[in-house]
Amino acid sequence: MTPPRNCQTTASRRDFLKLGLGALMGGGLVDALRARSVAAPAGARPASCILVWMDGGPSHYETFDPKPDAPAEVRGEFRAIETAIPGIRFSEHMERLAAIADKLAIVRSIRHDQGNHGAGNHYMITGAPPRIPVGCGAFVSFHPSMGSVAAHERSAPDGLPSYFSMPSMTRSGGPNFLGARYAPFVVSDDPNANGFRVRDVAPPGGLEIDRVDDRRGLRERLDNFKRFADKAAGDPALALDEYYHQGYELMASPQAQRAFDVSQEDPSVRDMYGRNSFGQRCLLARRLVEAGVPFVTLNEGGWDHHVGIFDGFKKRMPRFEGAIAALIQDLDRRGLLDSTLVVVLGEFGRTPKINKDAGRDHWSNAMSVLMAGAGTPGGQVVGATDAYGFAASERVLSPENFVSTIYHKLGIDPAKILHTPSGRPTFIVSDPTPIRELMG
Amino acid sequence: MILGLVAILAGTAGAAEPSPTVTFERDVQPILTRAGCNAGACHGKASGQNGFRLSLQGFDPTFDHIAIAREEGGRRVHRPAPEQSLLLQKGAATVPHGGGQRLDPDGPFYETIRRWIADGLPRTPADAPKLARVSVEPTERALKPDEAFELRVTAHFSDGSSEDVTELSTYGSSESTTVAVDEEGRVRAGKLAGEATISARYEGLFANCDVFIPLEGDVDEAEYAAFPRANFIDDLAVAKWKKLGLTPSAVAGDATFLRRAHLDVIGRLPTPEEARAFLDDTSPDKRARLVDRLLERPEYADHWATKWMDLLRPNPYRVGIKAVFNLDGWIRQAFRDNLPYDEFVRRIVTAQGSTFEQGPATIFRDHRDPIEIAPVVGQLFLGIRLDCAKCHHHPFESWSQEQFYEFSAFFTRVGRKGTGLSPPISGSEEVVFTAKSGSLKHPQTEAELAAKPLFGEAPIPDDPDADPREALARWMTAPENRYFAEVMANRVWGDLMGVGIVDPVDDIRATNPPSNAPLLEALAADFRDHGYDVKHLLRAIMASSVYALESEPNERNVADARNFSRHYRQRLRAETLLDAVSDVTGVPDSFDASPPGSRAVSTWTNRIPSLFLDTFGRPDANQDPPCERTTDTAVVQALHLMNAPGVNQKLTSDEGRVAALAKGDATPRAIVEELFLATYSRLPSDEEREVAEALFQVPDKPRRAAVEDVVWALLNSPEFVFKD
Repeated sequence: MTPPRNCQTTASRRDFLKLGLGALMGGGLVDALRARSVAAPAGARPASCILVWMDGGPSHYETFDPKPDAPAEVRGEFRAIETAIPGIRFSEHMERLAAIADKLAIVRSIRHDQGNHGAGNHYMITGAPPRIPVGCGAFVSFHPSMGSVAAHERSAPDGLPSYFSMPSMTRSGGPNFLGARYAPFVVSDDPNANGFRVRDVAPPGGLEIDRVDDRRGLRERLDNFKRFADKAAGDPALALDEYYHQGYELMASPQAQRAFDVSQEDPSVRDMYGRNSFGQRCLLARRLVEAGVPFVTLNEGGWDHHVGIFDGFKKRMPRFEGAIAALIQDLDRRGLLDSTLVVVLGEFGRTPKINKDAGRDHWSNAMSVLMAGAGTPGGQVVGATDAYGFAASERVLSPENFVSTIYHKLGIDPAKILHTPSGRPTFIVSDPTPIRELMG
Repeated sequence: MILGLVAILAGTAGAAEPSPTVTFERDVQPILTRAGCNAGACHGKASGQNGFRLSLQGFDPTFDHIAIAREEGGRRVHRPAPEQSLLLQKGAATVPHGGGQRLDPDGPFYETIRRWIADGLPRTPADAPKLARVSVEPTERALKPDEAFELRVTAHFSDGSSEDVTELSTYGSSESTTVAVDEEGRVRAGKLAGEATISARYEGLFANCDVFIPLEGDVDEAEYAAFPRANFIDDLAVAKWKKLGLTPSAVAGDATFLRRAHLDVIGRLPTPEEARAFLDDTSPDKRARLVDRLLERPEYADHWATKWMDLLRPNPYRVGIKAVFNLDGWIRQAFRDNLPYDEFVRRIVTAQGSTFEQGPATIFRDHRDPIEIAPVVGQLFLGIRLDCAKCHHHPFESWSQEQFYEFSAFFTRVGRKGTGLSPPISGSEEVVFTAKSGSLKHPQTEAELAAKPLFGEAPIPDDPDADPREALARWMTAPENRYFAEVMANRVWGDLMGVGIVDPVDDIRATNPPSNAPLLEALAADFRDHGYDVKHLLRAIMASSVYALESEPNERNVADARNFSRHYRQRLRAETLLDAVSDVTGVPDSFDASPPGSRAVSTWTNRIPSLFLDTFGRPDANQDPPCERTTDTAVVQALHLMNAPGVNQKLTSDEGRVAALAKGDATPRAIVEELFLATYSRLPSDEEREVAEALFQVPDKPRRAAVEDVVWALLNSPEFVFKD
């Protein structure tokens, strides 16, 4: 009764173009076909992911999918600008990203049917739609987030947590059944502040290291609280044990302490990212990835532009996209871009018609997602929306495809099955097909 | 084909004469809903799909009839040759259709629509019987793993007739991995024990079937009979355990009960003296007397008021410091006075007067628009979430946009005098009063709507001075309104037990079923019958054996997370934990904008800075949307308890318990005993004594350092951080 969600069985015009191009440029049809098959990413260093979450749902029109030929009430106030790649155009305020469009892949055709924040976040951040309907303000978790799965499947060296979220967790960014051990390490302090340090990761001043060790031993001997080992019991005391374990590892790790210290960075590099909270968080994210952390989420709210979208973008976007451009360029310069995936998105796009408050409302029929690095071929646009940006119309893709792409690049098999504490097998993503154009 | 049609229309045995003709509302609309045509992702969204728009889930038949019959120059339906109708061609995907094939061209649905077109698109007469309710058979069923059965759904009409609508209904499972349901209403158990509620939906109405997969193996009836039953709560919990084959954990010991009761009722730990007195008391009714005593403690009001502040207290930068402070004080006083809950709500809903004098008036300074306050009132006091209906028919509930606006219309005559909001100071006084007039228009039809409750009647007296909110409050707090008592009973239950009978606690709806409906109903009835006395509600819950169970699972309840056959451990709330650290160390915190010696539980706004409270998840008013309180643990919490300068200062202060014990002449044995009583509300075991006392014998270790280390170790333990 239910029709296929999208038409993956039929090749589109673009597929043929892509295939033809691959055949011309590479080793012919065999290579082109191989590009379509699922293969583990090559390279010695497994990829990390920096996910920039634009909470609220950024407009596709005002970012990467401008529609300059649409009527004014759809087109909006901004014009489209040329990018480094002829034929690909971004919205007017995406200047610095436009200049490095050769490094970026933009997906314009991911769509889903979860038009509120709670559900949209859940779908994009976990790859699973919420199990039961949830409301707009919801912070829900029915499935582990990508960051938590990454933490479960990949570890970070030197006592570093393997999943960071700054300055807070996204709504559905938690571990769900994987358990608290795979929750994000949240750095809420502002790395742009003077004297920034990640707090509480070193013993209080004046306490000798021997005494720190003695206390640790004493604590273990005095702690006789019963633990319920059966995972099905969901004993929160086990999670706390895990946190103490992680906390000690972190305290004992000079590499971790160094990664946290953005002040060690050259001032000119700090300037390049922008001397603002988001800019410096991007820089901190790079340092963490450099130190081997597999997954970092930057949770940046304020993109729910029901009101005054143009003023909002004018004020915010130049600094915001400048920091992302700086991050990608800096990774590239350091040779880290090949092993670092940068992803920028929100829960959905925004309505075509500008509303009475000069805003746009929630719209999950179309959205734009930026990806760069980790072998993602740059300078391309995947899929398209229709002429006025109402809906994804070519190469229509699902959140499952999106999430599978990220897992794949992280070296995690998207078809993998994990088990809940009560023993239920659960696919990490229900459709493990990555977006082949992004797989390189 | 006609036979198939007749089969559908014939209905159940004994039904009234089948409709002689196929009509839109009764016959066609349900097919469009069943096929998903008017779903939110397809033609039901506000912009339609490819120019064809239907009302979401078919809530507006007139609109839909026009869309089908008249738009596109009538191309969608072609009476002379119904098969040529776009509606059928698209639906059967005989022409390209983005939504794929939704109708089998050889099936009865297709034939019904074909005949309806051929007959001239008749609408169902206005006086035709109306759909009154939907029922499902069975309503409850126990299954073995992998076993399956079929549901049967019946629609009941206002004339007493009924119709089998199994094929026209849509189905969902609350736990699809435990019990799955397919599109035809076939229910299949998974491989593991558990439970799920299957919802059948027909034309916006729901009926539920509870499915259990009991644990393998039989439980001796004697085991349930032996469970000590103190009140109705125990009876109803046991009834549910039997269905699933769960057996309860043991009843907890005195020390556990003491600590649990203190934390639940007053949000603070017993002092070493209080703990010792209770543990030494040998009278059989000491637990009941403890609860009675705690309910009379002054800390009760602050602890329970804080929970309501999470729900009601606005951001002072938006609403003004004085107004927020005033509301905070009012809520605390209400709990000090043990104001009956219906009166508490009535005073909030009908608030009048100055925001500088009448606390609840501040809520109307914060929520200024009828359509903003209405969903707040619906969620907090009725557990009905209306937000979705603000913009469109509620997609998974029965509330329409019209109902949302009619409900909001109770607030149209809230008048305001004085200076409105002027963030970030917003310090002015505002007076809330009953305005002479006020109205609200439906955003689509622009019709002016009269105030109407979500169900039942709430007559507004024909008196220009009467505030419609009075009528609303009467309707909300009336004994017939089951939501009112249920949501509060559930809220309090969830606070004590770790999870609501309905979870989340303020989301009562068919598609979010309670884990034990009879228990929720009985708890609510008991609360209502005792004058909505919150203390009575607490007493009833805490008198039950269910409340007193141990957290340690047995092999037959280890996976139980919703049926209360064991106690679920909870991390202490941010304020409770900080106050406990202060009490154990004897060093109070200091808070901005608060008198010296203030406790965390008495902070009147979450804007008062506290790294500790932020780390342990108090609500963050700075976030947009404001973050809810979190009760999880996190690595930053472990690091904070271990290393935070603020906590360390309490350990090393010259003023606190550590310094006093070190300076005094108490023996190491007495010191260790006092510290265990202060943190864990129990005496140390022999082994624990030995470990802790040995610290005092370490050469060159100052006595004070030994005390510091013991306190540090006890604070950094799950036994301290959790309510067991």
